[in-house]
Amino acid sequence: MRDISMILKSVWKSLFVFSAISVIAVSTVNAQDAKEGRTLFKAKCSSCHALDHKVVGPALTGVSDRHPEAFLLKWIPNNAAMIAAGDPAAVKLFNDNGKVPMTTFPELDEAKVKDILAYIKEGEPKPTGDAAAAAAPKDETTSGLSIAGIVAIVIVAIVILVILGRASKLLERLILQKQGIEIEEDVPLKVGVRKMFKNKKFVMFFILCLIICLGSFGWMGMWNTGVHTGYQPVQPIKFSHELHAGINQIDCQYCHSGAFKSKNASIPSLNVCMNCHKAVQARDKYDGEISPEIKKIYSALGYDPETQKYDESKSKPMEWVRVHNLPDFAYFNHSQHVVVAEDAIRQAKGLQPNEPVCFACHGPVNTMEEIYQYSPLTMKWCINCHKETDISGQKNNAFYAKVIEAHEKIKKGEKITPALLGGLECGKCHY
Amino acid sequence: MESNKKYWKGLEEYNNTPDFVKNNKNEFAEPLPIEDVLNEAGLSTVTPRRDFLKALGFGLGAVTLAACQSTPLKKSIPYLVKPEEVTPGIPNFYTSSFNGQSILVKTREGRPIKIEPNPNAGLYNCGTDARAQASVLDLYDVSKLKAPALVKGGQTEETTWAKIDSFVKGELAKAQASGKKIRIVASTVNSPSTNAAIAQFVAKYPAAKLVQYDAVSYTGIIQANQNSFGKAVLPKYNFDKADLIVSFSADFLGTWISGEEFTAQYTANRNYKSLENKKMSRHIQFEGGMSLTGTNADTRVPVKLSEEGPALIALYNAITGQALPGGTLGNNATADKVIKLVAKELLQNKGKGLVVCGSNDVSTQILVNAINAAIGSYGTTIDLDNPCYLYAGNDAEFNGLVAEMGRGEVAAVLFLNSNPAYDAANPKAFTDALAKVPAKISFSDRADETASLCDAIAINHNYLESWGDANAYEGYYSIVQPTINPVFNSRQAEESLLTWADAPVKDYYQFVRSNWEAKVLPAAGLKWEQVLEKGVVTTTAKTAGAYSFTLSLAAVATSITNSSKALAKEVELQVYENIPMRDGKNANNAFLQELPDPVSKVTWDNFVAIAPKFAEKLKVKEFDVVTVKGSNGYSIELPVLIQPGQAQGTASIALGYGRTKTGKAGNDVGKNAFPFVSFVNGTMQYATSVTITPTGGYYELAQTQTHHSFEGRAVIKEATFKEYLKNAGAGNEKGEHKDYDLWDQYEKPGNNWVMAIDLNACTGCGSCIVACNVENNIPVVGRDEVRRRREMHWIRIDRYYSYETKDGDVTREKEIAKLEDLDHVSVVHQPMLCQHCDHAPCETVCPVLATVHSSDGLNHMAYNRCVGTRYCANNCPYKVRRFNWFNYWNDSRFDNYLNNEFTQLVLNPDVTTRSRGVMEKCSMCIQRIQGGKLQAKLEKRPLKDGDIKMACQEACSANAIVFGDANDPNSEVSKALRSERIYYVLEEINVKPGIGYMTKIRNTDTTVQA
Repeated sequence: MRDISMILKSVWKSLFVFSAISVIAVSTVNAQDAKEGRTLFKAKCSSCHALDHKVVGPALTGVSDRHPEAFLLKWIPNNAAMIAAGDPAAVKLFNDNGKVPMTTFPELDEAKVKDILAYIKEGEPKPTGDAAAAAAPKDETTSGLSIAGIVAIVIVAIVILVILGRASKLLERLILQKQGIEIEEDVPLKVGVRKMFKNKKFVMFFILCLIICLGSFGWMGMWNTGVHTGYQPVQPIKFSHELHAGINQIDCQYCHSGAFKSKNASIPSLNVCMNCHKAVQARDKYDGEISPEIKKIYSALGYDPETQKYDESKSKPMEWVRVHNLPDFAYFNHSQHVVVAEDAIRQAKGLQPNEPVCFACHGPVNTMEEIYQYSPLTMKWCINCHKETDISGQKNNAFYAKVIEAHEKIKKGEKITPALLGGLECGKCHY
Repeated sequence: MESNKKYWKGLEEYNNTPDFVKNNKNEFAEPLPIEDVLNEAGLSTVTPRRDFLKALGFGLGAVTLAACQSTPLKKSIPYLVKPEEVTPGIPNFYTSSFNGQSILVKTREGRPIKIEPNPNAGLYNCGTDARAQASVLDLYDVSKLKAPALVKGGQTEETTWAKIDSFVKGELAKAQASGKKIRIVASTVNSPSTNAAIAQFVAKYPAAKLVQYDAVSYTGIIQANQNSFGKAVLPKYNFDKADLIVSFSADFLGTWISGEEFTAQYTANRNYKSLENKKMSRHIQFEGGMSLTGTNADTRVPVKLSEEGPALIALYNAITGQALPGGTLGNNATADKVIKLVAKELLQNKGKGLVVCGSNDVSTQILVNAINAAIGSYGTTIDLDNPCYLYAGNDAEFNGLVAEMGRGEVAAVLFLNSNPAYDAANPKAFTDALAKVPAKISFSDRADETASLCDAIAINHNYLESWGDANAYEGYYSIVQPTINPVFNSRQAEESLLTWADAPVKDYYQFVRSNWEAKVLPAAGLKWEQVLEKGVVTTTAKTAGAYSFTLSLAAVATSITNSSKALAKEVELQVYENIPMRDGKNANNAFLQELPDPVSKVTWDNFVAIAPKFAEKLKVKEFDVVTVKGSNGYSIELPVLIQPGQAQGTASIALGYGRTKTGKAGNDVGKNAFPFVSFVNGTMQYATSVTITPTGGYYELAQTQTHHSFEGRAVIKEATFKEYLKNAGAGNEKGEHKDYDLWDQYEKPGNNWVMAIDLNACTGCGSCIVACNVENNIPVVGRDEVRRRREMHWIRIDRYYSYETKDGDVTREKEIAKLEDLDHVSVVHQPMLCQHCDHAPCETVCPVLATVHSSDGLNHMAYNRCVGTRYCANNCPYKVRRFNWFNYWNDSRFDNYLNNEFTQLVLNPDVTTRSRGVMEKCSMCIQRIQGGKLQAKLEKRPLKDGDIKMACQEACSANAIVFGDANDPNSEVSKALRSERIYYVLEEINVKPGIGYMTKIRNTDTTVQA
């Protein structure tokens, strides 16, 4: 089945590529410039400007119609000089936009500015074949839908098999009857079952199986009471770690700065979101409207994206649902683990150098569309790690150098783990 | 040789009463209803099969249903805009000051949760007192008003600030126009900015004037200094420079002027470091009631209150050789003899002696000045040139105000941090006079006794919400800065004054800042931000000058003799401030109410303290309720407490109790003793004569001391200074005992956390108890539970009495029984907390391993493992384990502080709150140990000695508690533990405790010949 879908997909892909190439070929006049310009625009301009709406600076669509090209070629690299020189058009533009000075870009030469202007004129390329082609590979992993499909097909096949079997049996019997051969009647099912239950050995075996099944089921159930691995509550904002930590490669610390200083990793306050989302509004995905999820940030802060003003009276705190819940009587400190013991944990959990140490317990956060609990967070889980992790590498921390030296005197040769240094004692976590 | 001096904790133990013996054998204070259950009827009842099945079915169903409950959804709400300096989980510290003392306020996520001393405090190089430690709880007090209020017909109606402002401004304009007086009644204002704000108010309303009034007054000393030296100031006392301290009923280690500061100075000459240099000061105390200071004295002589004046005259005569009349102590031969010796000793220690007196009588204080001048104290132990501004109240001025109000001359009165309707000497006269004032405004935070009689209550901030400053001593300025946004809709009193005065700057932050930038900062060469960080500014101290006394003392002696004669009636009553309650302003603080009085160990009540023999004479027994009737006709009913050491013919009652409008915790606790105060010769007098008559009632006081018995084992070791000089290990002879081990030795390779406690430094003040309560979220259980021995304090201070005769110590029980009076008892205070025994008996008996040992020498307690068998508490030889009989944080019967969602904001988030049915005990502030270690790890450095401090240690002004790592031979605690004075309590039972105590040394031997 998988093969078929793969084949289908590749067919689709080639079709898309073909159509995309033809589209590009048609509009190739300014394309080279506009593409370059788009890259430059995203890097230099997009923190203050958008094409179709005001961010910090005005919307830029139609800028070439509003101002002569010569003016723009001078203004964009160094607007400050123009204003200082008293160019009337420049001063007017400056005053019209609330006297907010624009950053100067001495690195932009004439060609680059022209590229940018070309991009502005052209506008955002339409999401045609290219985008669809880019989106297609996403489906390559087995989705829930295809599993369901497979199951359905299997069921249908079984049903067909059963029906076919019955039919052939019936036909066989009919043939035999026609030939006049006597057939033994099937023993009715009920009688057979009753007979079976009179067999003491069988009953014994059956009960034993039942006890083992129920027992192991109960046992597993009890062990997993209060264990919430996979817990993925619905959050007030559909925040995607996959997008932020995965695709955009934002460092965990940027938002969860507490993890490196404090016991709490801390959920970032919304002003941290606003560092980017004042400009990033994902309008391209919502027909020019601000993304509804980003709007939730604005409404919580009482922020009006049109006037760019905050109204504290309208603000209300964001109530996230806590995913990782340690009981109150257990003390856990993030900084101890992600700063002090980073190397040891990386080694023990086999993390790649490009993966943050957080993955050791929180799992592949960069692939989680919505965050879920990856580790069981049971005491057994804590203790196993404390028993097994080799922390002899901590010797380069002067604190541990002394402690490890002291312990080595009495426990020569043993592997140095947190447990050896007293990390399993009750009071280390429960106080 | 082992000392066989006999110590006892209370009279019941000393007398070995049958009740005491019986109770001590019992695990519970009250008999359990076992009999009822196990009697014939109980045993022969039959549970029908159907009932049994029903119960079983119901139980099973209920348990299943309870277990089916899904995990509750937990919300996590971050800041909308996080302040840059706040990191959730990491405390911030802000400098501030409490009653003039510079402190650090620890805040977590914006909530003040703990007070710590400021290491940069300079002058106040000491810990914090119980009040400062407990003050964080006042911030979250739900008995406060939530908004400003207008009082109409006895009803308080909460309103807005705009309405208050228009009302008050109207009233003040009317008052100003009427040509009558406007008065601000405040307890001592030593804040330069508050004074500046009041000055602006007075500029707008010229009829206004500030009247300073302290509930417990020091006017006597101030006026005596004016009289003797022309300086109306409270001097700065230097107890650290005094080798010989003679105190006449001044409780300078506790409540007198600046107890914590004096404690630090006093113990600097008596602690283990001083003793190692073979130096120890000598302290002689003459007093009526047993005060905290008296319990610490080397020699304590009980004198009647009426004998105090004559004793001082006798001392003056003996020192100067003059013959002032009235210096006879005919009825007190001991005092007479000691006075003569003391005079000689003082002369021998010229310039190194100090005489202080707790009296508020001007004449008495003039005489004390004369004595101090004669022994050359001025310029050395007393500093008149850098005076103390902590108290500046003027009794006569306040009394004058009451008279003016009574005559209708006052049109408006404002009460700032004062509550005269409760603590005035004559509350009736005050309230009658107050009724005649048209406009009455209070700045109180609650509708207290005075505020409820006012027209408007402009609720003031708590000091933790305020900007401000203090000037405790000449040239010593400390800042007050807010650590939280106002919790309720309150406004700082100064801001209210500035608003009503239409001042140009109404924002009090701006006001304080510009005031400092204009007046204080240029001289100190500091910037405002630097002050906020450091907390204090000190300017160069002036040189203390020597002063000589030249005036005639004839009139003074006559006045003293007359007062003494007036007082000498059948029963002389002294009203005093005790450590927990002080003047009663913080009466609604549950931590303070449950802090045992350091001497009597009584909580949640005041009482009449009477000497044992005098009680016999009055035909009263302990806990008998008596009527105390003063010469002014005021009478109250209080239970009797038999107090050894109390002077015969005297009784003592603590002030600060009997509040009626302070809040849930403090209302109607004890009785108000302020009305016994009388206004004599221009000052408030805290001694009066009374009659005591039994009512026939009985009232059991909630005492903590006699709750545990050490079964007569030696837990205190002591020696005299003379013996110590000969042999540093004097009194610490190790008795013969077998060394046996039931446990294997194990190593403590990393750290070995231990403690050393210097019994010679510990004064028993109890601030460690409150510090521990706040740090470790310890519940307050209330009076009834304390009576049932269920107080939860992790650290307690055991107070032991012992008896000495001139023939030496009383050594045998039989001899003690023969002794007749218990006047000359001596006292030892012993802080007792979990000893973190290496071979802990509690660990062995725990069936679930909830209490186990750690590799760094601590005895851990895992609450979530404990099933509450209480075997550990029974097996603990030190009786330091506490059992949670209730869910104190969720039980309406214990509505003291933990049970309120709002007050719970004071809890330390690093320490679990314990639930019902588990055992708890001192954890050696393990959260601080872990925190200190983590800090070192993050900084990649080894742990330094002094990185980690215990809450009790930090609060201790006397530095009696030293904590550290015994594996580090250079640590402070290792050095202390090598002292020859170190002994371990109950060493002979081989539990190997981790806390060493240093023998008590008393400097009892006089250096002069009689």
